[in-house]
Amino acid sequence: MNDKPPDTHTPDNAASWAKPVDTLTVGDTPAEAINLNVQGKRVSGPLQGFGQLWQKTYRFRLRGVQTTSAELVRLWKEKLPELMPPNSRFYPSITGVKPGEVIIINATMPGVPGAISTGVMILYADDEAFTVMTPEGHPESGFNTFSAYEADGVLVAQIQSLARANDPIYEFGFRFMGGSKEQEKIWHHVLAQLGAQLGVSGAVEMEKVCVDPRLQWSRAKNVWHNALIRSTLHMPVRLARRVVIGKTGSSGTQGVDSP
Amino acid sequence: MADKAFWAETMVQGGTAVINLHGEINSLADAALTTAYNQAETAVPQKIILNFATVDYINSTGIALIVGLLARARAAHRPIAAAGLSDHYREIFTITRLSDFMEIQ
Repeated sequence: MNDKPPDTHTPDNAASWAKPVDTLTVGDTPAEAINLNVQGKRVSGPLQGFGQLWQKTYRFRLRGVQTTSAELVRLWKEKLPELMPPNSRFYPSITGVKPGEVIIINATMPGVPGAISTGVMILYADDEAFTVMTPEGHPESGFNTFSAYEADGVLVAQIQSLARANDPIYEFGFRFMGGSKEQEKIWHHVLAQLGAQLGVSGAVEMEKVCVDPRLQWSRAKNVWHNALIRSTLHMPVRLARRVVIGKTGSSGTQGVDSP
Repeated sequence: MADKAFWAETMVQGGTAVINLHGEINSLADAALTTAYNQAETAVPQKIILNFATVDYINSTGIALIVGLLARARAAHRPIAAAGLSDHYREIFTITRLSDFMEIQ
């Protein structure tokens, strides 16, 4: 028998949350990942960004699938990189989708040369959901929650984002350059691919709600961290490094972070 | 583990509306939380306090619901504070940077 009184101040899901950090630290990443704009950055939530705050909910009903929400989320965590479209690659750490871990993201955008390198931190992960939070410089500032639940006897996979553009350049891109639609396509793709893993096809439902239509002009300075600009400026360095490595035959082509 | 159903009650004292939150703040708390917040806004308070003293559990969806309330309060230029947070949830409010925008009492 344990005589120690229960700690009423620590909830059951305490281990599901990331520990507080001042800045992000990137662990081991695959050699092919370009690791820029995450190391040393602070996380940036829905209130720290610049643009309109949107909540977007994507749902895919997995009709006929006989599994549990916990098993679906386990599969989701395990297959996350494979579910992403070719224009948005995810590189989790070796540890996988665990609270506090960082996922490097290399994405391409229409009309933009090269790849934007950024990432997300796993803010929360339990058996039925996991949430990622963006760093400074990411196109969006906010959370994405990936979850599963049962409704009317049907298993539902859901992605819910609560985010705003991180700075004025991204806001312009999302509103006027098709960025918002591109972002939505990514999550449609992920849910369709998750369904395909389980042999299910169908339509992805989406709801969009503008939670705060205002622009936060005090956050316009976030442009300093803009990962798109920084990745583009860093491209000549990467190309030069690739040429040098090609000549010397050295290994270790992994990108490194700029200060 | 059975969910502890969420419920909330709103009390207005002077220019301050206090929303006492109880149970688990997860996706199921959305409607009750919104109703309580709407009741608080009806009184046009100078300040809103969210009292978490008897909240057992918050998951990431629950944090997103609180972000939604914060966004509404900011749009109305209404200060919002959090009271009764355990040390653990103080940490969560720090890492999610909610504490940048609300007074933690």
